[in-house]
Amino acid sequence: MIEHAELRALLPQRHPILLLDRASVVEPGRRVVGHKAITGSEPCYRDLPDSASPKSFGYPHCLLLESFGQAAAVLWLTSDSDGENEDGVLMFAGARDCRFVGRAYPGDTLHHEVRLEHVIGDNAFASGQTRVGDRVIATFGSLIAVRRPHSALAAPTPSQPRPAP
Amino acid sequence: MTSASQHLEELREMIAEILELEPEEISDTGDFVEEYEADSLRAIEILAQLEKKYGVEIPQSELPEMQNLEAVYKVVAGYAGWQD
Repeated sequence: MIEHAELRALLPQRHPILLLDRASVVEPGRRVVGHKAITGSEPCYRDLPDSASPKSFGYPHCLLLESFGQAAAVLWLTSDSDGENEDGVLMFAGARDCRFVGRAYPGDTLHHEVRLEHVIGDNAFASGQTRVGDRVIATFGSLIAVRRPHSALAAPTPSQPRPAP
Repeated sequence: MTSASQHLEELREMIAEILELEPEEISDTGDFVEEYEADSLRAIEILAQLEKKYGVEIPQSELPEMQNLEAVYKVVAGYAGWQD
């Protein structure tokens, strides 16, 4: 079990984009089950008008994917690594075969079941699904994450001065 | 179909999917980077998929060799022990 305080120590994300509350199952190198409770006070619902339809409160797919990705990151970060950039930056690099087959709404809890499929150096592949109760609402064929040195992310020095606005 | 051409077609299909192309667009000797705009991440994806599908372990050091379909076939055949 990884409680929220410990998740904050593992993950670099913070409010409002830290989208994981707890991980109940952690089997390093194999699988993680992560949980995220959705509430009506999420920033994504802030600007919805009072006339918004019930359907418009469906949790956005992009945030669902980000939340699942954070559970996948916990799995990788708690697993042994033989990569070159141990203290590098973890980045989401791609996703394949993602299917969103149901919606989640305020009051629901997302349960992300993530399996680590493959690690090649500083590149990891995960798959899994997200449930709300017994209902599968999304499946993820392959999620790709990479770890790169901090220097690779440094902003390039601009060769030309920017034109004045 | 011989097992060699069957393996080659399997690889063509797999690589086409990763590069988001149709299998017939990938020729035996077309360079992945030059002709199909593959980058290092696509290369790693191909490697991971090969390892998963054929249950082999291919070191990352082989990646520079694997520039086209024919070259991938040769590398995989070596590690998988294909007697095609």
